[in-house]
Amino acid sequence: MLLVLEDEHKKHLSFLPSVDIAVVKEFCRISMEFIRKGTNPKVYTSAAQKLGVEADQVQNGVEGLMYLLTESSKLMLNQVDYQDSIIVLGFSEDLREMLLQLYKENRKEVRTILSEISMDLPHYRNLEWRFDVQLASRSLRRQTTPLILFKLHTESYGEQESHILQTDPVNLVHLTKVLDEALQEMKSPYCRRIVRNIK
Amino acid sequence: MEFGSSVLEELSIAGDTAHISDQCFNILVTHACQGLLAASNRDDIANDTSFKDTDKGSLKSAYSGLVTLITEATKWDAEPSSIGAVLEECKFTIDRINSFNNIYLAKKPLIQILLGSIGKSPPHIVDVDWRLDYYIKNNHLDKVNQPVYLITLKTEIPGNSELQEIQFSCSMEQLQDLVGKLKDSTKCLEKIGQM
Repeated sequence: MLLVLEDEHKKHLSFLPSVDIAVVKEFCRISMEFIRKGTNPKVYTSAAQKLGVEADQVQNGVEGLMYLLTESSKLMLNQVDYQDSIIVLGFSEDLREMLLQLYKENRKEVRTILSEISMDLPHYRNLEWRFDVQLASRSLRRQTTPLILFKLHTESYGEQESHILQTDPVNLVHLTKVLDEALQEMKSPYCRRIVRNIK
Repeated sequence: MEFGSSVLEELSIAGDTAHISDQCFNILVTHACQGLLAASNRDDIANDTSFKDTDKGSLKSAYSGLVTLITEATKWDAEPSSIGAVLEECKFTIDRINSFNNIYLAKKPLIQILLGSIGKSPPHIVDVDWRLDYYIKNNHLDKVNQPVYLITLKTEIPGNSELQEIQFSCSMEQLQDLVGKLKDSTKCLEKIGQM
């Protein structure tokens, strides 16, 4: 699979060969920084002053790199496809090598960042349990009621939540059995076949 | 198990043949048990024709005394002999004491469940549903390719007839962790059961 670069994107990146390769390296560093923490327009103006160019050009260059990085990471391009995708930019070998390094070094982190901003469902974090025997209550003395208490921790968009729940031995065995079956289902020939075919 | 004088008086009325006839006594005890167990049975005694010759005031007192006795006896898990002692004090005949105990003991387990369910407790898990998805991609990310389980715990809250739900998702590893912990607690339970 190739990443098809749009004309506007190509135009923005065409600024890169006009500056020194050390400057491009700095742009690469800044673009990763911005992907992590968000953009900071002041950096564009000060860099533009030093280089004696328009701030817009710097901005387009850096953001073009950010877009290249995020799109390639999103598609999980392999090295060969990535190299083939950027060949249309007509850059020198050194510059292409640098862009390849940028991608290789940061793909994992960019994908982590992208997965953090993806849609999230409340998900499991931890389960604490304890075993109690209820001996008496205001309305009924002399009981021996076994109870399993749970504290279920879930998380959604970084917000943690906990639920206090209880169950009895019969339901505990049932719950364990049903969820164990769910776990085994993923190993079934049917699920394996589907997973093998989705690439 | 101790009773105030008013309860003992009401019980005495229930034990007195002059107020409650022998035929009526068993029916009255049955009504007292049923009335405790379900609110819908509480007015049945008013419509029961067996009591058409019984004085309404005495019937009410006797019913109230018996309901109090049944509730307290269940709460303290009283032995039939100590129930007998209370009833003897209220001048019950041996026959009436025996028939009270027979009717009451048959219903006692149900009344225990009822009294046990009074009070607050955390939502009680009674069932679980699951669904297995394969998460392929989203608008930010292609090739996510991970199994995702959606788990719904069904819980019961005392006094609430509808089941509540708790929903969360799990990756394969998270579900393995969850099932592992549930198995640990089941094992702990089995060990204690063998003691």
